[in-house]
Amino acid sequence: MTTEPTPTVEPTPTVSDDTASDRPPTSVPDGATVEACPYCERPFPTDRLRALHLGERHADRLTPEERATFEETEDEEIDDLFVYHLKVVALIVLVVMGLSYVYAFALA
Amino acid sequence: MTAPDRSLLPALTRRGLVAALGTTLLVGVASAHAGSLGSVTPVSVPSWLFALTGGAVVVASFLFTSLLTDRDLIRAVNERGPTVQAPRALALGRRLLAAVGVVGLLAVVVVGLFVPAPPVANLAVLLVWVAWWAGYTTTVYLVGNTWPALNPFRTLAGSLPTLDRPLPARLATWPSVVGLLALVWLEVVSPLADAPRLLAGVAVGYTLLTLAGAVVFGSRTWFERVDPVSRVFRFYGALAPVQRVREGFVVGLPGAGLLTHGGTEGVVGRRRSPDGPVRADGGVASTAAHRGRSLVSGGDDVAFVVALLWTTTFDGFVSTQVWADLAGPAVEWGAPPLAVYLAALVGGFGLFFGGYRLASALARRSAGSYVTSVELERRFAVALLPIAAGYHLAHFAGYFLTFSPALAAVLAAPLSPPANPLLVVLPDWFGAIQLSFVVLGHLLGVWVAHSVAFETFTGRLQPLRSQYPYVVVMAAYTMTSMWLLMQPYTAPPFL
Ligand SMILES: [Zn+2]
Repeated sequence: MTTEPTPTVEPTPTVSDDTASDRPPTSVPDGATVEACPYCERPFPTDRLRALHLGERHADRLTPEERATFEETEDEEIDDLFVYHLKVVALIVLVVMGLSYVYAFALA
Repeated sequence: MTAPDRSLLPALTRRGLVAALGTTLLVGVASAHAGSLGSVTPVSVPSWLFALTGGAVVVASFLFTSLLTDRDLIRAVNERGPTVQAPRALALGRRLLAAVGVVGLLAVVVVGLFVPAPPVANLAVLLVWVAWWAGYTTTVYLVGNTWPALNPFRTLAGSLPTLDRPLPARLATWPSVVGLLALVWLEVVSPLADAPRLLAGVAVGYTLLTLAGAVVFGSRTWFERVDPVSRVFRFYGALAPVQRVREGFVVGLPGAGLLTHGGTEGVVGRRRSPDGPVRADGGVASTAAHRGRSLVSGGDDVAFVVALLWTTTFDGFVSTQVWADLAGPAVEWGAPPLAVYLAALVGGFGLFFGGYRLASALARRSAGSYVTSVELERRFAVALLPIAAGYHLAHFAGYFLTFSPALAAVLAAPLSPPANPLLVVLPDWFGAIQLSFVVLGHLLGVWVAHSVAFETFTGRLQPLRSQYPYVVVMAAYTMTSMWLLMQPYTAPPFL
């Protein structure tokens, strides 16, 4: 039995430098498609997410093609977001109306 | 402010107060004041409808928050204000706080053991429950964490030698999770708020245990990894608008301290680059050693935060008829009551922890991300802290107001306290204020989770999609705990 004392360490090892914490730990399921970032190697399931990531995280080092792809993808994302927000507004209306309805019945 | 009939007052216990809160929430239905003459016919809102409304508020706040998807704007909201240089007076302030802490602990022990006053006029009880756990804790999350300076155990430990034996690294901060659950169990199963002598005994025991721990493992290790009280204040303090940094103080929005970005300026929160990671540092560190360490850095921290949230619920749960109906058969069957309480406490914690971990695994899936679910658990745990603080404020703001004149009167004459100190009777509408604290905590939680999601995920839709499982879990939690708050008080059985 070794009696060598273990040094007191911080509870859990944590990311200490920017580059490491900038890229959160990832795990890719077996056989899943991987689109890796050429700069920080972070894996993405779709090239759309990778294109967005490039523009968000590595804006100052993109090649002209990467920049063009990012801008195109960003436009698509914003179009999709508009549709998404329409659904959100519809859902807000639904929640408010549903709740009023329940109140009207419960307190009648 | 009047000296009301004793029977109308909530018992001087946490459980009693939970009951009082539940009653006041039933706006006018079962008015605590029987003689409310000539009041308008009360509108009866059934408790399930209150619960449903709580869940709907959580869902609606998520929906509203999802309209804001501009990363720079989100960051700008969470940006910390300028650093205020701490003057030299700070050292003096620390020493003053340390003295107050030690005198307070001494008063609890001496008065608790030797002054035969009833709980409501007993300084030991009032100091621990009203001044410290209700009042002081509130200042920690509303203003800033002063506990490292006030902590009497730490002050006393500072004058003792230390063996500096290592605490195994693989234990991480898990001892503090066990310690928190143990403290809450002790608080629920024993009449700590009604028996001054017992309370003083527990204070002595806690002091001895803490000092022994600090001597063996070193003050820093003990108070940062084992002592549950210091850990509670560390996490609550991270919520506060005032955060301590090396250069002085920074001021920001409540909750912004949970989202401090990393970088060379560390806890100050100015980003070194726009790519700055989420660094939930909180700036709560009183020592430079904390710098660069996230507020929630591993599964042990996640467990502690979940335990903190669960214990606020457990208190209310054991004083419902549901619990009496569940515990009854178990005890009749031969299980020792204390073990039944312990099993419920630990089991419920497991359920909460499991639910949170499951939600994080589902968040990974609903977002369509390769970020590990362990990492998501770690990052999103900070969003639970405002919710825990909201429930604390809801429970204890009224408690503090009710008993503060008694505290003042007894403080003036601790050894010969007035037999029947004044108490404040809170108006019925105070229940609505308490309810709004719960809702505010949830709103802040939704915002914190939203901000973390936009730092963690890519694009605009992925962060929003990641929130679905958390929103479902949170809505379910809100409905459950609101329903619990509304239940008529049933004394926890078999104690
Ligand atoms: Zn990258």
